[in-house]
Amino acid sequence: MPEKQPLLKLESICKHFGAIEALRGIDMEIDRGEVVALLGDNGAGKSTLVKIISGGLRPSSGRIVMEGEPQEFASPAEAKAAGIETVYQDLSLCTNADVVANFFMGREITRRYFGIPVLQERAMEAVVAQAMADGGTNIPSLRTNVEHLSGGQRQAIELNRFVHWGGKLVLLDEPFAALGVEQTRRGLEMIRHVAARGIGVVVITHIMAQAFQVADRIVVVRHGQVAGDVRTDETTTDQVIDMITGGSLSGAGKGRE
Amino acid sequence: MTAARRATIEFLLDNLVWLMLIVVLIVFSLTVPHFFQFGIFTNILEQSTFVGVMAIGLAIVIISGNLDLSVESTAALSAMVTGLLFATQGIGLGLTLDPAWLLLPVSLGIAMLVGALIGFINGFFVVRVGMAAFIVTLASFIWVRGLVVAISGGRSAQRLPDAIRVVGTEDILGIPLLAWISIACFVIFSILMAKTPFGRYITLVGGNAEATYRAGINSNRILWSSFVVAGLLAGVAGWLLAIRTSGATANLGTGMLFNAFAAVVIGGISLKGGIGKLPGVYAGVLLLYSIHTAINLMGLPAHYTQVILGGLVLAAVLLDTLKLRLREKLL
Repeated sequence: MPEKQPLLKLESICKHFGAIEALRGIDMEIDRGEVVALLGDNGAGKSTLVKIISGGLRPSSGRIVMEGEPQEFASPAEAKAAGIETVYQDLSLCTNADVVANFFMGREITRRYFGIPVLQERAMEAVVAQAMADGGTNIPSLRTNVEHLSGGQRQAIELNRFVHWGGKLVLLDEPFAALGVEQTRRGLEMIRHVAARGIGVVVITHIMAQAFQVADRIVVVRHGQVAGDVRTDETTTDQVIDMITGGSLSGAGKGRE
Repeated sequence: MTAARRATIEFLLDNLVWLMLIVVLIVFSLTVPHFFQFGIFTNILEQSTFVGVMAIGLAIVIISGNLDLSVESTAALSAMVTGLLFATQGIGLGLTLDPAWLLLPVSLGIAMLVGALIGFINGFFVVRVGMAAFIVTLASFIWVRGLVVAISGGRSAQRLPDAIRVVGTEDILGIPLLAWISIACFVIFSILMAKTPFGRYITLVGGNAEATYRAGINSNRILWSSFVVAGLLAGVAGWLLAIRTSGATANLGTGMLFNAFAAVVIGGISLKGGIGKLPGVYAGVLLLYSIHTAINLMGLPAHYTQVILGGLVLAAVLLDTLKLRLREKLL
Protein backbone atom coordinates (compact mmCIF):
# COMPACT_ATOMS: atom_id res chain seq x y z
CA MET A 1 0.00 0.00 0.00
CA PRO A 2 2.02 2.97 -1.23
CA GLU A 3 -0.18 5.52 0.61
CA LYS A 4 1.07 4.24 3.94
CA GLN A 5 4.71 4.64 3.11
CA PRO A 6 6.39 7.52 4.91
CA LEU A 7 7.85 10.29 2.78
CA LEU A 8 11.35 9.63 4.04
CA LYS A 9 12.60 6.75 6.09
CA LEU A 10 16.11 6.45 7.49
CA GLU A 11 17.20 2.94 8.37
CA SER A 12 20.16 2.52 10.73
CA ILE A 13 22.23 5.29 9.15
CA CYS A 14 25.86 5.19 10.29
CA LYS A 15 28.63 7.58 9.41
CA HIS A 16 32.19 7.50 10.57
CA PHE A 17 35.05 9.82 9.74
CA GLY A 18 38.12 7.70 10.28
CA ALA A 19 37.86 6.39 13.82
CA ILE A 20 35.24 8.94 14.83
CA GLU A 21 31.69 7.67 14.76
CA ALA A 22 29.47 10.65 14.05
CA LEU A 23 26.28 8.67 13.55
CA ARG A 24 25.67 5.26 15.10
CA GLY A 25 22.50 3.89 13.58
CA ILE A 26 19.86 6.55 13.10
CA ASP A 27 16.29 5.39 12.47
CA MET A 28 13.61 7.95 11.79
CA GLU A 29 10.65 8.71 9.58
CA ILE A 30 9.11 11.86 8.19
CA ASP A 31 5.61 12.01 6.75
CA ARG A 32 4.13 14.32 4.18
CA GLY A 33 2.98 17.59 5.71
CA GLU A 34 4.75 16.86 8.96
CA VAL A 35 7.15 19.23 10.72
CA VAL A 36 9.88 17.47 12.63
CA ALA A 37 12.26 19.37 14.87
CA LEU A 38 15.68 17.82 15.14
CA LEU A 39 17.28 18.70 18.44
CA GLY A 40 20.57 17.82 20.00
CA ASP A 41 23.62 19.21 21.68
CA ASN A 42 26.59 20.55 19.73
CA GLY A 43 28.39 17.66 18.10
CA ALA A 44 25.47 15.30 18.49
CA GLY A 45 25.45 14.60 14.76
CA LYS A 46 22.55 16.77 13.55
CA SER A 47 24.48 18.53 10.80
CA THR A 48 26.04 15.28 9.61
CA LEU A 49 22.57 13.77 9.39
CA VAL A 50 21.28 16.74 7.38
CA LYS A 51 24.24 16.49 4.99
CA ILE A 52 23.52 12.81 4.43
CA ILE A 53 19.84 13.41 3.66
CA SER A 54 20.68 16.34 1.37
CA GLY A 55 23.32 14.43 -0.60
CA GLY A 56 26.38 16.31 0.66
CA LEU A 57 27.74 13.22 2.43
CA ARG A 58 27.24 9.51 1.83
CA PRO A 59 26.40 7.28 4.79
CA SER A 60 28.96 4.63 5.78
CA SER A 61 26.08 2.19 6.11
CA GLY A 62 22.30 2.23 6.32
CA ARG A 63 19.52 3.03 3.89
CA ILE A 64 17.62 6.13 2.84
CA VAL A 65 14.17 5.23 1.60
CA MET A 66 12.13 7.94 -0.07
CA GLU A 67 8.48 7.13 -0.83
CA GLY A 68 9.30 3.44 -0.63
CA GLU A 69 12.24 3.68 -3.02
CA PRO A 70 15.75 3.16 -1.67
CA GLN A 71 17.89 6.14 -2.65
CA GLU A 72 21.60 6.81 -2.81
CA PHE A 73 22.43 10.46 -3.26
CA ALA A 74 25.89 11.00 -4.70
CA SER A 75 25.51 14.79 -4.78
CA PRO A 76 23.12 17.55 -3.69
CA ALA A 77 21.96 17.67 -7.30
CA GLU A 78 20.59 14.13 -7.02
CA ALA A 79 18.88 14.80 -3.71
CA LYS A 80 17.35 17.92 -5.23
CA ALA A 81 16.14 15.93 -8.22
CA ALA A 82 14.41 13.58 -5.77
CA GLY A 83 12.64 16.60 -4.24
CA ILE A 84 14.79 17.42 -1.22
CA GLU A 85 15.49 21.13 -0.62
CA THR A 86 18.00 22.29 1.96
CA VAL A 87 18.59 25.60 3.68
CA TYR A 88 22.06 25.47 5.18
CA GLN A 89 23.31 27.06 8.36
CA ASP A 90 26.12 28.87 6.53
CA LEU A 91 24.05 30.41 3.79
CA SER A 92 24.39 29.16 0.24
CA LEU A 93 24.34 32.48 -1.55
CA CYS A 94 26.71 33.91 -4.13
CA THR A 95 27.23 37.41 -2.79
CA ASN A 96 28.73 38.60 -6.08
CA ALA A 97 25.42 38.10 -7.87
CA ASP A 98 22.05 39.80 -7.52
CA VAL A 99 18.97 38.56 -5.68
CA VAL A 100 17.33 37.18 -8.82
CA ALA A 101 20.40 35.18 -9.83
CA ASN A 102 20.60 33.68 -6.35
CA PHE A 103 16.93 32.86 -6.17
CA PHE A 104 17.04 30.96 -9.45
CA MET A 105 20.49 29.43 -9.00
CA GLY A 106 20.57 26.29 -11.12
CA ARG A 107 16.94 26.64 -12.28
CA GLU A 108 17.03 29.69 -14.51
CA ILE A 109 14.15 30.41 -16.83
CA THR A 110 15.53 30.29 -20.35
CA ARG A 111 14.26 30.53 -23.87
CA ARG A 112 16.10 29.03 -26.80
CA TYR A 113 17.11 31.20 -29.70
CA PHE A 114 18.73 29.14 -32.47
CA GLY A 115 19.32 26.40 -29.93
CA ILE A 116 21.12 28.69 -27.49
CA PRO A 117 19.47 29.06 -24.09
CA VAL A 118 19.04 32.71 -23.15
CA LEU A 119 18.22 33.91 -19.63
CA GLN A 120 14.78 35.50 -19.29
CA GLU A 121 15.64 38.15 -16.72
CA ARG A 122 12.29 39.92 -16.67
CA ALA A 123 10.29 36.76 -16.17
CA MET A 124 12.63 35.72 -13.37
CA GLU A 125 12.51 39.10 -11.68
CA ALA A 126 8.71 39.02 -11.67
CA VAL A 127 8.70 35.61 -10.00
CA VAL A 128 11.18 36.74 -7.34
CA ALA A 129 9.25 39.95 -6.68
CA GLN A 130 6.09 37.90 -6.12
CA ALA A 131 7.85 35.39 -3.85
CA MET A 132 9.42 38.18 -1.78
CA ALA A 133 6.11 39.96 -1.45
CA ASP A 134 4.41 36.73 -0.34
CA GLY A 135 7.10 36.21 2.26
CA GLY A 136 6.78 39.77 3.51
CA THR A 137 10.42 40.46 2.75
CA ASN A 138 11.36 43.96 1.79
CA ILE A 139 14.43 44.27 -0.39
CA PRO A 140 14.88 47.65 -2.10
CA SER A 141 16.13 46.33 -5.41
CA LEU A 142 16.20 42.76 -6.63
CA ARG A 143 19.09 43.78 -8.87
CA THR A 144 21.34 44.60 -5.91
CA ASN A 145 24.19 42.21 -5.33
CA VAL A 146 23.64 40.14 -2.23
CA GLU A 147 26.89 41.47 -0.71
CA HIS A 148 25.10 44.78 -0.09
CA LEU A 149 22.29 43.14 1.90
CA SER A 150 22.03 42.51 5.63
CA GLY A 151 22.28 39.11 7.27
CA GLY A 152 18.54 39.03 7.86
CA GLN A 153 17.75 39.90 4.26
CA ARG A 154 20.09 37.16 3.07
CA GLN A 155 18.43 34.57 5.25
CA ALA A 156 15.05 35.77 4.06
CA ILE A 157 16.12 35.15 0.47
CA GLU A 158 17.04 31.57 1.35
CA LEU A 159 13.76 31.02 3.18
CA ASN A 160 11.68 32.46 0.36
CA ARG A 161 13.64 30.33 -2.04
CA PHE A 162 12.68 27.10 -0.29
CA VAL A 163 9.07 28.19 0.11
CA HIS A 164 8.90 28.86 -3.61
CA TRP A 165 10.60 25.69 -4.84
CA GLY A 166 9.19 23.41 -2.15
CA GLY A 167 9.83 19.97 -3.53
CA LYS A 168 8.75 17.08 -1.31
CA LEU A 169 10.98 17.47 1.71
CA VAL A 170 12.67 20.56 3.13
CA LEU A 171 15.64 20.52 5.48
CA LEU A 172 16.32 23.68 7.47
CA ASP A 173 19.61 23.85 9.35
CA GLU A 174 19.38 26.59 12.00
CA PRO A 175 17.30 28.75 9.67
CA PHE A 176 16.64 31.65 12.02
CA ALA A 177 20.14 32.30 13.33
CA ALA A 178 20.35 35.77 11.77
CA LEU A 179 16.70 36.80 11.94
CA GLY A 180 15.01 39.35 14.17
CA VAL A 181 11.94 38.62 16.27
CA GLU A 182 9.35 39.62 13.68
CA GLN A 183 11.17 37.86 10.86
CA THR A 184 11.48 34.71 12.96
CA ARG A 185 7.74 34.74 13.58
CA ARG A 186 7.22 35.05 9.82
CA GLY A 187 9.71 32.25 9.25
CA LEU A 188 7.84 29.92 11.59
CA GLU A 189 4.60 30.79 9.84
CA MET A 190 6.28 30.00 6.53
CA ILE A 191 7.19 26.56 7.80
CA ARG A 192 3.60 25.76 8.76
CA HIS A 193 2.45 27.16 5.45
CA VAL A 194 4.86 24.90 3.56
CA ALA A 195 3.87 21.85 5.62
CA ALA A 196 0.21 22.59 4.90
CA ARG A 197 1.03 22.04 1.22
CA GLY A 198 1.94 18.46 2.07
CA ILE A 199 5.67 18.98 2.18
CA GLY A 200 7.68 17.30 4.90
CA VAL A 201 9.85 19.70 6.91
CA VAL A 202 12.84 18.96 9.12
CA VAL A 203 13.99 21.90 11.25
CA ILE A 204 17.23 21.84 13.14
CA THR A 205 17.34 24.30 15.98
CA HIS A 206 18.90 25.03 19.31
CA ILE A 207 15.95 26.99 20.55
CA MET A 208 13.50 24.84 22.42
CA ALA A 209 10.65 27.33 22.22
CA GLN A 210 10.81 27.38 18.43
CA ALA A 211 10.73 23.59 18.29
CA PHE A 212 7.61 23.46 20.42
CA GLN A 213 6.01 26.30 18.51
CA VAL A 214 6.37 24.84 15.05
CA ALA A 215 6.98 21.08 15.19
CA ASP A 216 4.54 18.17 15.24
CA ARG A 217 7.23 15.86 16.45
CA ILE A 218 10.59 16.26 18.15
CA VAL A 219 13.50 13.95 17.43
CA VAL A 220 16.50 14.21 19.73
CA VAL A 221 19.92 13.08 18.59
CA ARG A 222 22.53 12.31 21.22
CA HIS A 223 25.96 10.80 20.61
CA GLY A 224 24.99 9.86 17.07
CA GLN A 225 21.86 7.96 18.06
CA VAL A 226 18.18 8.81 18.36
CA ALA A 227 17.69 9.50 22.04
CA GLY A 228 14.05 10.37 21.76
CA ASP A 229 11.24 10.62 19.23
CA VAL A 230 8.11 12.18 20.69
CA ARG A 231 5.01 14.06 19.62
CA THR A 232 5.26 17.70 20.64
CA ASP A 233 1.89 17.66 22.40
CA GLU A 234 2.84 14.61 24.44
CA THR A 235 6.00 15.97 25.98
CA THR A 236 7.37 18.87 27.97
CA THR A 237 10.43 21.06 27.69
CA ASP A 238 11.98 19.39 30.71
CA GLN A 239 11.62 15.95 29.21
CA VAL A 240 13.24 17.08 25.97
CA ILE A 241 16.11 18.73 27.82
CA ASP A 242 16.64 15.48 29.69
CA MET A 243 16.83 13.66 26.37
CA ILE A 244 19.31 16.13 24.95
CA THR A 245 21.61 16.06 27.95
CA GLY A 246 21.07 12.41 28.82
CA GLY A 247 19.87 13.35 32.29
CA SER A 248 17.10 10.81 32.08
CA LEU A 249 15.55 8.62 29.43
CA SER A 250 12.02 9.07 30.71
CA GLY A 251 10.62 10.40 27.46
CA ALA A 252 12.61 8.21 25.11
CA GLY A 253 10.85 5.67 23.05
CA LYS A 254 7.47 7.32 23.29
CA GLY A 255 5.74 7.19 19.96
CA ARG A 256 8.21 4.66 18.56
CA GLU A 257 7.59 1.09 17.62
CA MET B 1 19.81 59.28 -2.39
CA THR B 2 17.43 58.95 -5.29
CA ALA B 3 17.27 55.77 -7.30
CA ALA B 4 18.27 57.63 -10.46
CA ARG B 5 21.41 59.09 -8.92
CA ARG B 6 22.34 55.79 -7.42
CA ALA B 7 21.92 54.12 -10.82
CA THR B 8 24.09 56.79 -12.44
CA ILE B 9 26.89 56.29 -9.93
CA GLU B 10 26.68 52.50 -10.30
CA PHE B 11 26.86 52.88 -14.06
CA LEU B 12 29.89 55.17 -13.88
CA LEU B 13 31.72 52.91 -11.45
CA ASP B 14 31.00 49.84 -13.55
CA ASN B 15 32.24 51.51 -16.70
CA LEU B 16 35.14 53.44 -15.27
CA VAL B 17 37.63 51.83 -17.65
CA TRP B 18 35.70 53.12 -20.69
CA LEU B 19 35.72 56.57 -19.15
CA MET B 20 39.47 56.27 -18.66
CA LEU B 21 39.91 55.14 -22.26
CA ILE B 22 38.00 58.16 -23.56
CA VAL B 23 39.95 60.56 -21.35
CA VAL B 24 43.27 59.01 -22.37
CA LEU B 25 42.37 59.15 -26.07
CA ILE B 26 41.38 62.82 -25.78
CA VAL B 27 44.54 63.71 -23.85
CA PHE B 28 46.76 61.88 -26.35
CA SER B 29 44.95 63.45 -29.29
CA LEU B 30 45.60 66.92 -27.85
CA THR B 31 49.17 66.40 -26.65
CA VAL B 32 50.85 63.70 -28.75
CA PRO B 33 51.74 64.86 -32.27
CA HIS B 34 50.21 62.83 -35.12
CA PHE B 35 48.08 60.79 -32.69
CA PHE B 36 44.72 62.08 -33.88
CA GLN B 37 44.42 60.20 -37.16
CA PHE B 38 42.02 57.56 -38.41
CA GLY B 39 44.99 55.34 -39.29
CA ILE B 40 46.30 55.47 -35.73
CA PHE B 41 42.95 54.45 -34.30
CA THR B 42 42.52 51.54 -36.70
CA ASN B 43 46.09 50.54 -35.92
CA ILE B 44 45.27 50.44 -32.20
CA LEU B 45 42.23 48.30 -32.96
CA GLU B 46 44.28 45.92 -35.09
CA GLN B 47 47.12 45.62 -32.59
CA SER B 48 44.62 44.87 -29.83
CA THR B 49 43.25 41.85 -31.67
CA PHE B 50 45.68 39.16 -30.53
CA VAL B 51 45.94 40.04 -26.86
CA GLY B 52 42.25 40.92 -26.89
CA VAL B 53 41.04 37.52 -28.06
CA MET B 54 43.40 35.83 -25.63
CA ALA B 55 42.27 38.09 -22.77
CA ILE B 56 38.62 37.01 -23.22
CA GLY B 57 39.50 33.43 -22.35
CA LEU B 58 41.79 34.48 -19.55
CA ALA B 59 39.06 36.70 -18.11
CA ILE B 60 36.53 33.86 -18.17
CA VAL B 61 38.89 31.57 -16.26
CA ILE B 62 39.63 34.31 -13.73
CA ILE B 63 35.94 35.13 -13.25
CA SER B 64 35.32 31.44 -12.50
CA GLY B 65 37.87 31.78 -9.70
CA ASN B 66 40.93 30.18 -11.34
CA LEU B 67 43.98 31.28 -13.25
CA ASP B 68 45.45 30.33 -16.64
CA LEU B 69 49.10 31.17 -17.24
CA SER B 70 49.33 28.90 -20.27
CA VAL B 71 47.33 30.95 -22.81
CA GLU B 72 50.42 32.54 -24.36
CA SER B 73 52.15 29.21 -25.02
CA THR B 74 48.89 27.69 -26.22
CA ALA B 75 48.52 30.50 -28.75
CA ALA B 76 52.10 29.90 -29.88
CA LEU B 77 51.41 26.17 -30.34
CA SER B 78 48.30 26.84 -32.41
CA ALA B 79 50.23 29.34 -34.51
CA MET B 80 53.05 26.87 -35.01
CA VAL B 81 50.70 24.05 -35.98
CA THR B 82 49.00 26.37 -38.47
CA GLY B 83 52.38 27.43 -39.87
CA LEU B 84 53.73 23.90 -39.95
CA LEU B 85 50.77 22.50 -41.85
CA PHE B 86 49.94 25.28 -44.27
CA ALA B 87 52.97 27.58 -44.76
CA THR B 88 54.84 27.03 -48.01
CA GLN B 89 58.38 27.95 -46.97
CA GLY B 90 60.74 27.11 -44.13
CA ILE B 91 59.51 24.11 -42.20
CA GLY B 92 55.98 24.54 -43.56
CA LEU B 93 54.52 21.43 -45.20
CA GLY B 94 52.41 23.54 -47.54
CA LEU B 95 49.27 21.38 -47.42
CA THR B 96 46.72 22.38 -50.02
CA LEU B 97 43.01 21.81 -50.19
CA ASP B 98 40.58 21.92 -53.07
CA PRO B 99 38.80 24.32 -53.26
CA ALA B 100 41.38 26.66 -51.76
CA TRP B 101 38.92 28.63 -49.59
CA LEU B 102 38.52 25.54 -47.43
CA LEU B 103 41.97 26.32 -46.03
CA LEU B 104 40.50 29.10 -43.95
CA PRO B 105 37.91 27.17 -41.90
CA VAL B 106 40.07 24.04 -41.75
CA SER B 107 43.12 25.87 -40.41
CA LEU B 108 40.98 27.77 -37.91
CA GLY B 109 39.32 24.55 -36.80
CA ILE B 110 42.68 22.86 -36.25
CA ALA B 111 44.04 25.85 -34.32
CA MET B 112 40.93 25.88 -32.09
CA LEU B 113 41.18 22.15 -31.55
CA VAL B 114 44.83 22.39 -30.50
CA GLY B 115 43.99 25.19 -28.06
CA ALA B 116 40.94 23.40 -26.66
CA LEU B 117 43.03 20.27 -26.11
CA ILE B 118 45.57 22.17 -24.00
CA GLY B 119 42.71 23.75 -22.07
CA PHE B 120 41.16 20.32 -21.57
CA ILE B 121 44.43 19.00 -20.13
CA ASN B 122 44.69 22.01 -17.78
CA GLY B 123 41.09 21.44 -16.69
CA PHE B 124 41.77 17.77 -16.05
CA PHE B 125 44.57 18.48 -13.60
CA VAL B 126 42.83 21.36 -11.88
CA VAL B 127 39.30 19.98 -11.64
CA ARG B 128 39.66 16.21 -11.66
CA VAL B 129 43.02 15.81 -9.92
CA GLY B 130 42.48 18.85 -7.71
CA MET B 131 45.81 20.59 -8.26
CA ALA B 132 46.28 24.35 -7.92
CA ALA B 133 45.55 26.15 -11.19
CA PHE B 134 48.63 28.31 -10.74
CA ILE B 135 51.01 25.33 -10.80
CA VAL B 136 49.16 23.37 -13.48
CA THR B 137 49.01 26.25 -15.92
CA LEU B 138 52.54 27.40 -15.10
CA ALA B 139 53.68 23.89 -16.05
CA SER B 140 51.65 24.13 -19.26
CA PHE B 141 53.15 27.54 -19.96
CA ILE B 142 56.55 25.85 -19.93
CA TRP B 143 55.89 22.49 -21.58
CA VAL B 144 53.65 23.82 -24.33
CA ARG B 145 56.28 26.39 -25.29
CA GLY B 146 58.79 23.54 -25.18
CA LEU B 147 56.58 21.60 -27.55
CA VAL B 148 56.53 24.56 -29.94
CA VAL B 149 60.32 24.64 -29.98
CA ALA B 150 60.49 20.85 -30.32
CA ILE B 151 58.11 20.44 -33.26
CA SER B 152 59.69 23.36 -35.10
CA GLY B 153 63.25 22.40 -34.26
CA GLY B 154 63.73 26.06 -33.44
CA ARG B 155 63.21 27.03 -37.07
CA SER B 156 60.34 28.99 -38.56
CA ALA B 157 57.54 28.50 -41.06
CA GLN B 158 56.90 31.27 -43.58
CA ARG B 159 54.43 32.32 -46.22
CA LEU B 160 50.91 31.16 -45.57
CA PRO B 161 48.83 30.74 -48.72
CA ASP B 162 46.79 33.76 -49.82
CA ALA B 163 43.54 31.91 -49.13
CA ILE B 164 44.34 32.16 -45.42
CA ARG B 165 46.16 35.48 -45.53
CA VAL B 166 43.08 37.42 -46.69
CA VAL B 167 42.06 37.64 -43.04
CA GLY B 168 45.17 39.70 -42.32
CA THR B 169 45.07 41.89 -45.41
CA GLU B 170 41.43 42.76 -46.06
CA ASP B 171 39.48 45.52 -44.41
CA ILE B 172 35.82 46.45 -44.12
CA LEU B 173 34.75 50.11 -43.91
CA GLY B 174 38.42 51.04 -43.56
CA ILE B 175 38.82 48.93 -40.44
CA PRO B 176 41.03 45.85 -40.72
CA LEU B 177 39.27 42.50 -40.76
CA LEU B 178 41.47 41.44 -37.84
CA ALA B 179 39.96 44.19 -35.70
CA TRP B 180 36.45 43.12 -36.72
CA ILE B 181 37.24 39.58 -35.63
CA SER B 182 38.28 40.66 -32.16
CA ILE B 183 35.23 42.92 -31.88
CA ALA B 184 33.03 40.00 -32.95
CA CYS B 185 34.68 37.75 -30.35
CA PHE B 186 34.06 40.32 -27.64
CA VAL B 187 30.42 40.77 -28.65
CA ILE B 188 29.75 37.03 -28.82
CA PHE B 189 31.41 36.22 -25.52
CA SER B 190 29.97 39.26 -23.74
CA ILE B 191 26.50 38.03 -24.69
CA LEU B 192 27.42 34.50 -23.67
CA MET B 193 28.59 35.71 -20.26
CA ALA B 194 25.71 38.09 -19.61
CA LYS B 195 22.74 36.29 -21.13
CA THR B 196 23.20 32.53 -20.97
CA PRO B 197 23.16 30.07 -18.07
CA PHE B 198 26.78 29.16 -18.87
CA GLY B 199 27.96 32.72 -18.24
CA ARG B 200 25.75 33.03 -15.19
CA TYR B 201 27.21 29.83 -13.71
CA ILE B 202 30.79 30.98 -14.41
CA THR B 203 30.10 34.07 -12.30
CA LEU B 204 28.27 32.16 -9.58
CA VAL B 205 30.96 29.47 -9.30
CA GLY B 206 33.58 32.22 -9.04
CA GLY B 207 31.58 33.80 -6.22
CA ASN B 208 30.79 30.73 -4.12
CA ALA B 209 31.54 27.31 -5.59
CA GLU B 210 30.07 25.51 -2.56
CA ALA B 211 26.73 27.27 -2.97
CA THR B 212 26.49 26.34 -6.66
CA TYR B 213 27.32 22.72 -5.83
CA ARG B 214 24.55 22.68 -3.23
CA ALA B 215 22.18 24.27 -5.71
CA GLY B 216 22.73 21.31 -8.00
CA ILE B 217 24.93 23.04 -10.55
CA ASN B 218 27.72 20.84 -11.86
CA SER B 219 30.39 23.31 -10.82
CA ASN B 220 33.26 21.04 -11.86
CA ARG B 221 31.97 20.90 -15.41
CA ILE B 222 31.68 24.69 -15.45
CA LEU B 223 35.26 25.12 -14.20
CA TRP B 224 36.58 22.57 -16.66
CA SER B 225 34.80 24.15 -19.59
CA SER B 226 36.19 27.58 -18.66
CA PHE B 227 39.68 26.17 -19.22
CA VAL B 228 38.60 24.65 -22.54
CA VAL B 229 37.14 27.99 -23.65
CA ALA B 230 40.35 29.80 -22.62
CA GLY B 231 42.42 27.31 -24.61
CA LEU B 232 40.11 27.56 -27.59
CA LEU B 233 40.33 31.36 -27.65
CA ALA B 234 44.11 31.22 -27.19
CA GLY B 235 44.06 28.94 -30.24
CA VAL B 236 42.14 31.55 -32.21
CA ALA B 237 44.59 34.24 -31.04
CA GLY B 238 47.49 32.07 -32.21
CA TRP B 239 45.85 31.47 -35.57
CA LEU B 240 45.36 35.22 -36.03
CA LEU B 241 48.97 35.84 -35.01
CA ALA B 242 50.21 33.29 -37.56
CA ILE B 243 48.15 35.01 -40.25
CA ARG B 244 49.44 38.43 -39.25
CA THR B 245 53.07 37.33 -39.42
CA SER B 246 52.33 34.97 -42.33
CA GLY B 247 53.93 32.06 -40.53
CA ALA B 248 55.27 31.17 -37.14
CA THR B 249 58.53 31.25 -35.23
CA ALA B 250 59.37 29.31 -32.11
CA ASN B 251 59.29 32.43 -29.93
CA LEU B 252 56.11 33.89 -31.41
CA GLY B 253 53.91 35.72 -28.92
CA THR B 254 56.40 35.86 -26.05
CA GLY B 255 55.26 38.42 -23.48
CA MET B 256 51.61 38.37 -24.57
CA LEU B 257 50.59 36.75 -21.29
CA PHE B 258 51.51 39.81 -19.29
CA ASN B 259 49.71 42.15 -21.64
CA ALA B 260 46.65 39.94 -21.43
CA PHE B 261 46.81 39.91 -17.65
CA ALA B 262 47.27 43.66 -17.55
CA ALA B 263 44.26 44.14 -19.82
CA VAL B 264 42.11 41.85 -17.70
CA VAL B 265 43.03 43.63 -14.47
CA ILE B 266 42.69 47.10 -15.98
CA GLY B 267 39.36 45.97 -17.41
CA GLY B 268 38.00 45.51 -13.88
CA ILE B 269 38.17 41.73 -13.50
CA SER B 270 38.96 40.87 -9.89
CA LEU B 271 41.61 38.18 -9.42
CA LYS B 272 39.52 36.94 -6.50
CA GLY B 273 36.97 35.69 -9.00
CA GLY B 274 33.31 36.32 -9.63
CA ILE B 275 33.65 40.00 -10.48
CA GLY B 276 34.01 41.81 -13.78
CA LYS B 277 32.54 42.02 -17.25
CA LEU B 278 34.01 41.33 -20.66
CA PRO B 279 33.35 44.70 -22.35
CA GLY B 280 35.58 46.23 -19.68
CA VAL B 281 38.37 43.88 -20.74
CA TYR B 282 38.12 45.14 -24.32
CA ALA B 283 38.43 48.70 -23.03
CA GLY B 284 41.43 47.53 -21.02
CA VAL B 285 43.11 46.11 -24.13
CA LEU B 286 42.41 49.26 -26.12
CA LEU B 287 43.75 51.41 -23.29
CA LEU B 288 46.91 49.32 -23.17
CA TYR B 289 47.57 49.65 -26.90
CA SER B 290 46.66 53.34 -26.98
CA ILE B 291 49.43 53.88 -24.47
CA HIS B 292 51.80 51.64 -26.47
CA THR B 293 51.07 53.68 -29.57
CA ALA B 294 51.46 57.02 -27.82
CA ILE B 295 54.83 55.96 -26.43
CA ASN B 296 55.94 54.91 -29.91
CA LEU B 297 54.79 58.20 -31.42
CA MET B 298 56.55 60.24 -28.79
CA GLY B 299 59.73 58.40 -29.67
CA LEU B 300 60.40 57.24 -26.14
CA PRO B 301 62.70 54.24 -25.88
CA ALA B 302 60.63 51.04 -25.85
CA HIS B 303 61.99 50.18 -22.41
CA TYR B 304 59.78 52.82 -20.87
CA THR B 305 56.70 51.02 -22.14
CA GLN B 306 57.16 48.25 -19.59
CA VAL B 307 57.63 50.70 -16.73
CA ILE B 308 54.49 52.56 -17.69
CA LEU B 309 52.43 49.40 -18.21
CA GLY B 310 53.55 48.03 -14.86
CA GLY B 311 52.52 51.27 -13.23
CA LEU B 312 49.20 51.10 -15.06
CA VAL B 313 48.44 47.63 -13.70
CA LEU B 314 49.23 48.82 -10.20
CA ALA B 315 46.99 51.83 -10.71
CA ALA B 316 44.21 49.58 -11.95
CA VAL B 317 44.31 47.41 -8.84
CA LEU B 318 44.43 50.51 -6.67
CA LEU B 319 41.46 51.89 -8.55
CA ASP B 320 39.57 48.67 -7.92
CA THR B 321 40.09 49.07 -4.18
CA LEU B 322 39.08 52.72 -4.36
CA LYS B 323 35.97 51.84 -6.33
CA LEU B 324 34.92 49.41 -3.63
CA ARG B 325 35.32 52.06 -0.93
CA LEU B 326 33.51 54.64 -3.00
CA ARG B 327 30.65 52.23 -3.56
CA GLU B 328 30.35 51.55 0.15
CA LYS B 329 30.34 55.27 0.88
CA LEU B 330 27.91 56.33 -1.83
CA LEU B 331 25.49 53.44 -2.04
